[in-house]
Amino acid sequence: MSRLGRWRWLLVPVLVLPISWLLFTGLGRDPRTIPSPLIGKPLPSISGTTLDGAQWDSASLAGKPALINVWASWCAPCVTEHPLLLDVARRDAGRLQVVGVLYQDTADSAAAFKARHGDGGWPDVDDASGRVAVSLGVTGPPETFFVDAAGIVRYHQVGPLTAEVLAQQLPLIGIAP
Amino acid sequence: MRRWALPAAALALVALAVAVLLVVLQPAPAATRQEQARALAAELRCPDCESLSVAESRTAAAAAIRAEIEEQLAAGRSPADIRDTFVARYGEWILLQPMSPLIWLVPIVALLAGVAVFGWWLRGRRPSPSAPTDARDIAAVERQRIRDEADLLDG
Amino acid sequence: MIPTLGHVAVLVGLAATLFAAATFAVGARRGDAALVLLARRAMYAAFGLAALASGAMIVSLLSHDFSVAYVVRNNATTTPPFYSVISLWAALQGSILFWTLLATGWAALVLHRFRNRAPALVPWVGVTLALGAAFFFAVMTWPGDPFERISPIAAEGSGPNALLQNHPFMGLHPPLLYLGYTGLAIPFAFGVAALVTGRTDEEWLGIVRRWTLVPWIFLTAGIVAGAWWSYQVLGWGGYWAWDPVENAALLPWLTATAFIHSSMVAERRGTLRVWSHLLVVLTFWLTLFGTFMTRSGVVASVHSFTESGIGAWFLGALAVTLAVGLSLLVWRLPSLGDRRAAGEPVSRESAFLFNNVLFLAISVTVLVGTLYPLAVEAVSGQKVSVGAPWFNRVGAPAFVALLFLMGIGPALPWGGASWRTVRERFGIPILAGLAGVALGLLLGLRQVAPLAAIGFALFVLVVMGDEVVRGARARGRSRGESPPAAAWGLMTHNRRRYGGYVVHAGICVMAVAIAVSATMGTDVTATLRPGQTLTVGAYTLRHDRLVTEPLPDDARVRETRAELTVSGPQSGPIRTALRDYPSSTTPIATPSVRSSFAEDLYVTLLGYDPATQAATLHVFINPLVGWLWIGGALVALGALFAIWPERRRAVAAAAAAA
Repeated sequence: MSRLGRWRWLLVPVLVLPISWLLFTGLGRDPRTIPSPLIGKPLPSISGTTLDGAQWDSASLAGKPALINVWASWCAPCVTEHPLLLDVARRDAGRLQVVGVLYQDTADSAAAFKARHGDGGWPDVDDASGRVAVSLGVTGPPETFFVDAAGIVRYHQVGPLTAEVLAQQLPLIGIAP
Repeated sequence: MRRWALPAAALALVALAVAVLLVVLQPAPAATRQEQARALAAELRCPDCESLSVAESRTAAAAAIRAEIEEQLAAGRSPADIRDTFVARYGEWILLQPMSPLIWLVPIVALLAGVAVFGWWLRGRRPSPSAPTDARDIAAVERQRIRDEADLLDG
Repeated sequence: MIPTLGHVAVLVGLAATLFAAATFAVGARRGDAALVLLARRAMYAAFGLAALASGAMIVSLLSHDFSVAYVVRNNATTTPPFYSVISLWAALQGSILFWTLLATGWAALVLHRFRNRAPALVPWVGVTLALGAAFFFAVMTWPGDPFERISPIAAEGSGPNALLQNHPFMGLHPPLLYLGYTGLAIPFAFGVAALVTGRTDEEWLGIVRRWTLVPWIFLTAGIVAGAWWSYQVLGWGGYWAWDPVENAALLPWLTATAFIHSSMVAERRGTLRVWSHLLVVLTFWLTLFGTFMTRSGVVASVHSFTESGIGAWFLGALAVTLAVGLSLLVWRLPSLGDRRAAGEPVSRESAFLFNNVLFLAISVTVLVGTLYPLAVEAVSGQKVSVGAPWFNRVGAPAFVALLFLMGIGPALPWGGASWRTVRERFGIPILAGLAGVALGLLLGLRQVAPLAAIGFALFVLVVMGDEVVRGARARGRSRGESPPAAAWGLMTHNRRRYGGYVVHAGICVMAVAIAVSATMGTDVTATLRPGQTLTVGAYTLRHDRLVTEPLPDDARVRETRAELTVSGPQSGPIRTALRDYPSSTTPIATPSVRSSFAEDLYVTLLGYDPATQAATLHVFINPLVGWLWIGGALVALGALFAIWPERRRAVAAAAAAA
């Protein structure tokens, strides 16, 4: 062992530094956010019954940019992002379609949520079975997909929307701020 | 040479056993559609829980994925196709076994490195045939004998 | 008032541990016994202060003092007293306080036990333990203050984490694990002391072997208890998910186990000394790594307390510990050469070394598997997962190989064995193992894992049984004792060896239970309306009714349970429920588990329809799971037997004789 001489001291940094660096890179990250592989790809075809009882199909979005917002009444961050969605829906009405996907929730609670926090009038697909969420690769609400006029997913927000996110990402789907 | 024969044989046996197990422990190809669905679900990570597979989890998302697996199998798609579909939606993250072969090398390299250390230890330090018995061992044997005799007297 | 007292106790505790560390160091350099005594007392005081702070937290929780942020987040006025008390370790800051209590407790205990022994080592042991405790007091002073106040005072708290509140076992499993984790600082402290003082002879090894076994027992019990909790509470039908935090508990267990074996070789044969030091450093580092994983939020896991800037502090501690431990080792490397030549290839030390190689290979594999997603993300930004399928596939063969070594290691003599000894000792056991495999095949077992586990386990058990029988027979002949008395006399005479055998027997039982339950179980999911029945294996379940009502001891929790009647091997009524906690969006399962020696009938409620009273059930038949807990108990008992002080036996014998 001693024949390794002074070089043996190299062992310490060689072992300590990489592992410390690795753990350090993990510190700043949220283990729950997953980059969506759907970005740059066409929105998967999704359909279902809305809370009003109507049939809705993603084919109806053709030619129009859209925000697909996955939410639930039991989800606290959904409350914080809701006013932003209401704003966008009002401001860009006609240019942009907002579509809600109700995730693991009941129609009653959803109605109560809208009565309390405001109803933007957009369709909400009731995804009680979770199949729409699985088609989109959703891990948990709130999540929002930014889809451009050609039906391509341009951005996927995991967690609540913020004013900055909207300002940065809406131009990607052709909605100027 | 003879004393090398047994450990060499033993090591070879262990290595063989490990290799055979590695191969055989691959889940046997599932026969029925239900088994196929189960095997596939066990390989997919439940999206809204921690560290459980879709087969084990009782969340709605896991149930939805199980339902979709069964539908797609019923529609005649192969398990590999279905797996790819989920990877396309969720990313490689959804697979509980990463696709990169790199991680499969880790246990093999770790074991080989260990065996190398073991071999180095054996080769480098064979005692000379006339090595005297360790004095401490003699003392220990002696102590044990004295204790035994003392116990005998007690009883 | 009370929280202020706790806060002050933490501050004084930080001062006391820093003072103790400095005084120990000066005392050690000057060889001043008075200073060492002073430092020791400061550590006793630190333990008292940690106890005071923990007491203050428990009182705050019990009295629902909502001026304390921790109490608001983890308690509610309706929380029953038992869960209020155990909320001490239910979340981040409280668990660090609890950790500090245990760490200072171990430090005080070990310093007290060694007040008149090993005078050269003890001051440095004190420095290490005091600095470790100071780190935890510092964490509580800056980033993780458990007594942080909020203003205005909250009217009501959010209640404990639903998962932690759901089963009284949370009162047992974390303390056992924490006792194991914190206790493993002791071998590290002695290792550091040995390296600093250059007294790397067998003295520290003798001390450390015993002081590793004690926390090892707690760690083992904690891991098994955690598996039991996972099985009884989480309701997914299994007991080990290779969750990153489970891995974090397994890793120091693996290296500590390796050390327990290598230290025997080091003590008896004077070899493997660098290796043993390295294992001690690694083990302690891995306990810190475990805490880092649970508390930094680097991984998502059922167990992790994701919050806070505490992660950075733990990262610093991890880097410093590894750097200091390795530097000391590298510094002393030239004097740590092996004292004598190793033995023959076919010898006990050789088997132990190979055992160590396997343990370390498994540790590295589990560590890499746990960190791999982190590494991939750091390099490529991609998210990947490494889960049970991978760990099972790479782990199973290695564990089977360990089982094999467990049989041959202890039965080989130190120094080398002749062909004859090998034939004599292993002929019958090999036949027994083969017979077990054949019997399994006859009974219809076709999978490799359970067959291998059964074969090797039988091999190990017969090797050990054969040796005990031979020894007992010889003893019985020489002193005319009855066979049981002779066996007991033989075992108590060499507790270390035969305690080890009991541990090994427990591991064999667990190995078979794991292999069989993991591969031979069945499960069925079905939706039943009241009156409908479901047949699984030999059992028929009838759904009687669906009941929804608040829990008797906490009205805020609503329980919906399916009441079923089982007919079959274990007939009778069972209930399986989902509980809705105000603090949890997803309901928490309360599975029904009926155990027998042959198999468990495990029923979880997946969902229900209030309109039709229909219940969706997941029914598992898990063979041999009960043996996992029996094996775990054997392991703990065997280790306890091994470390039971000889002195007490001598005293008892003298008393009996008088």
